[in-house]
Amino acid sequence: MITGDQLPRRALTWLIACQFAVIVPHLVRVPLWVVAVYLGASLWRLQMHRQRAEMPSRWLRLALGITASIAVLASYRTLIGLEPMIALLLVASALKLLEAIRDRDGYVIVCLGFFISVTHFVFSQSLPMTLYALACTLLLVTAMIALNQRPGATFTRHEPLLALKMLGLAVPMMVVLFFLFPRIGPLWSVPSKSGAGITGMSDFLKPGAVSKLGRSAEVAFRAGFDGPIPAMPALYWRGLVLSQFEDEAWRTLGWRELPASERTLVRPETTGDPLRYRIVMDPTQQRWLYGLAYAESETAGVLEAWDFRLGVLNPLESQFGYDVRSWTGATMQPQLSAWRRDVETSFPENINPRSATWVTALRSRHPDDKSLVAALLDHFREQPFFYTLEPPPITQPDFVDRFVFDTRRGFCEHYAYSFVALARMAGIPARIVAGYQGGEINPLNNTVVVRQFDAHAWAEVWYAGDGWVRVDPTAAVSPDRVELGLEAALAGEAGFLADSPISVYRLRGISAINWLRLRYDVLAFRWQSFVVGFDSTRQIDLLQDWFGEIKVSWFVAVMLGSWAIVLIPLTFWLNRQRVAPLFLPEEKRFVAVTNRLQTLGLSRAFGESPLALLERVRAQLPGDHPLRGDLEAAVGDLYNRRKAD
Amino acid sequence: MRWWPCCGARSMSFRASAATSLRDLARERYQRWLSRRLPPARTITLEQRRLFIFPSRNGFLFMFTLLLMLLMAINYQNNLAYGLTFWLSMLFVVAIHFTHANLMKLVITGVRAESVYPGQHAEFLLRLSCQSSRSGHYSVRLLWPDCEALVDVPADGSVEVALHVKVGKRGWFKPPRLRIESLYPLGLLRCWSFAQLDLPALVWPQPVPSERPSSIDEEEGAQGFSDETGIDDLAGFRDYRLGDPPRLIDWRSYARAQPLQTKLFSAPVREDHWLNWSDFSSGTDEQKLSWLCWLALQYHGRGEDFGLRLPGAEIPLGGGDRQLELVLRALALHESSGNAGE
Repeated sequence: MITGDQLPRRALTWLIACQFAVIVPHLVRVPLWVVAVYLGASLWRLQMHRQRAEMPSRWLRLALGITASIAVLASYRTLIGLEPMIALLLVASALKLLEAIRDRDGYVIVCLGFFISVTHFVFSQSLPMTLYALACTLLLVTAMIALNQRPGATFTRHEPLLALKMLGLAVPMMVVLFFLFPRIGPLWSVPSKSGAGITGMSDFLKPGAVSKLGRSAEVAFRAGFDGPIPAMPALYWRGLVLSQFEDEAWRTLGWRELPASERTLVRPETTGDPLRYRIVMDPTQQRWLYGLAYAESETAGVLEAWDFRLGVLNPLESQFGYDVRSWTGATMQPQLSAWRRDVETSFPENINPRSATWVTALRSRHPDDKSLVAALLDHFREQPFFYTLEPPPITQPDFVDRFVFDTRRGFCEHYAYSFVALARMAGIPARIVAGYQGGEINPLNNTVVVRQFDAHAWAEVWYAGDGWVRVDPTAAVSPDRVELGLEAALAGEAGFLADSPISVYRLRGISAINWLRLRYDVLAFRWQSFVVGFDSTRQIDLLQDWFGEIKVSWFVAVMLGSWAIVLIPLTFWLNRQRVAPLFLPEEKRFVAVTNRLQTLGLSRAFGESPLALLERVRAQLPGDHPLRGDLEAAVGDLYNRRKAD
Repeated sequence: MRWWPCCGARSMSFRASAATSLRDLARERYQRWLSRRLPPARTITLEQRRLFIFPSRNGFLFMFTLLLMLLMAINYQNNLAYGLTFWLSMLFVVAIHFTHANLMKLVITGVRAESVYPGQHAEFLLRLSCQSSRSGHYSVRLLWPDCEALVDVPADGSVEVALHVKVGKRGWFKPPRLRIESLYPLGLLRCWSFAQLDLPALVWPQPVPSERPSSIDEEEGAQGFSDETGIDDLAGFRDYRLGDPPRLIDWRSYARAQPLQTKLFSAPVREDHWLNWSDFSSGTDEQKLSWLCWLALQYHGRGEDFGLRLPGAEIPLGGGDRQLELVLRALALHESSGNAGE
């Protein structure tokens, strides 16, 4: 082995630190035993370092590797998918430590570390995650420097600073490359995330499904408005339309279930200026998007469905931003087809006998659809109904009977469910709409931050001529829910935010923290919409803004220009440090004379003193040769100067 | 010298064998080009034109990782993954400049080369100095065919490095081209240079025990040793000769303004020997030199005076280390029938 090929001791410490740093964000999605492998491998390696343990034999290492792969397979039941792949990478990195003897092994660990850092971003592209990844990168680069130190060299503050300096110099070129690099579509389909650990709406509604979201303060999406933000009670973020009642749950109609005539969207007539806003959604693993009815979007990839919803073709794996225009006054579907009327009024007849009788009686008093709906809402308003996050459980199937007449304590989905069921019993086309209501308005950047606890379910009723009209039975029971938000409506109920025990949102009562929180949110929105949400459309817009037209030659010029701007001064700066000590004027003059002598074939020999050279020149050049006089003067000056020193 | 281009040292053997294949021819050409580009000198400053740079093996591993990261970014349409990938790519570009600057203006001076016998390792003392007061040269590796050293040169300072190289035959041994390389700071790139140091080592003849030629026997018989006399017995005086130890000088007579006299003691009698080339009638020139070398060492070991007579050169009688060095040097550099060392 050649000196210096061994893993320097200090580098080992940095490598272990790197390994633990890159595993931290993955802790929520890898089994606990992976952490045990990490700890075990690090301890073993440290014992090897202290010469108290042997390096495991080749067979033992092979056995460990195979066991770990089998353990990953057993934990995830598959090896295909992002999480198993990450678990394998992590385990491989930990086991590599056991055989990290040469500096090359150190590089394998560092490269694995960089790759694992990239996988963090697949799960989160938030600001804190980004900052954490920056720290990991700095640590990994420092480890690389440590790997190149002479064994025995002392590690100083200089190395992390050097890593910081090099990374800092790389930033301007990175930014240019980031904006210029063409954003092409996926080259092949990749293993997707399992979706575990994501809170959010599901595509069916059962009592209790929405109320569990009331326990979480995670951000669902942010909406940045161009103009003034509508009042809170108007912020109904429509997501899903649940028309089909089946197996005691409401669900959406699949595209295949529709007859061909119903599959296309009939755009409503729109008049006046729309609300314009941009929504940036966190990954949901679902296909639907949110918007204020009636919403249109021109963002590439956004689909507009037959029931006036917005959606995407593939589940949202990562953050997604889209621009929306909404006409809140538009009439949705003024005419209803027979097929659709049939679907939107169907409800099983053999259940809920008490409700059926009551609705029939109510119908006879209110032949008009609108007055019947008003009567239903009055019932919710006037009878002792309560709005709560923790309603008593109701056994199916006579849910409506039990809720409307007995328990009368429920969350929004209970009210929406009961209301739609009652309306359908009366023959009025009605359906449940699930989404979010309200949100926190951040006046600093004109955005609405919608969190999971803003999840809401309401109803839509169809009137001839008016189309689908929003009706919110919850608002009849608890007007505060719609006007002030969930927290005010619940008035300190224990279940609120129960799943987010350490959320900063809890501390918003403290004004200084709230001040910071709102400002952080502005930054987060900018980050999400400008950096994370940067896609080919935005890229083309941006580049057209800058360059007028998009030409490859421009790109190359800008790229090379950015390199030149950074690298040319860098080279000068690095070499400036390497300038030989300045000569004294006398020394310069002497060197100049010797250079002229060289043209005569009289070069100064290695180690020859100026006086010796002068002797030689005196012997070889005639007395009146000008160079001889020059040399005499130069040497004289040189020695006088030295004496003076 | 683990990958292209190969170190100068290896090619020495290639040069000896005929350049049969095209590959050897190319190597030969490359070596000649290097020699022209990097002429030998006693002090060499690593300048722009002497420095070469290329990604190292670890650099290729890093680039492969970057490729995987880019694929990850494209396939998951992940902007931050793009960002990290581009950041590290540009770090690589920045590293080119830092690695290059780490060797830039490094000064290598050949200080001293040890004289040895053929086949031994001669110590070459090199001084590496840094001209900058701000940053030194770190993890600089010096490579000769069978030895290497890894040193840090501090800012505004210098270090001395001793390297041991196996020498060839009698005469001047020119060390092969020294390879200087460094991967600092990131190890992703290898920056290297070659230095042909003008620092020859003197290789003495291989000492070979010789049958004493007849003339030596005669001298031996004529003078011989005087027996059973104590070391302290003063036997007489002779004129001072360069190299006589001061304790043997008769300081008292010197104080009386007489010329320097050396005290002679009776045991053992210092004798004068002449190492005479012409005394050897048989053997090749190299053999003769080897025998002479052995004899010189013998006399020196016994503390006797000796002189050397070679065709065309004569070293007068003398003793001590200085005399041995003069004699060995003369033997080493003796040119006989065009058979001198390089």
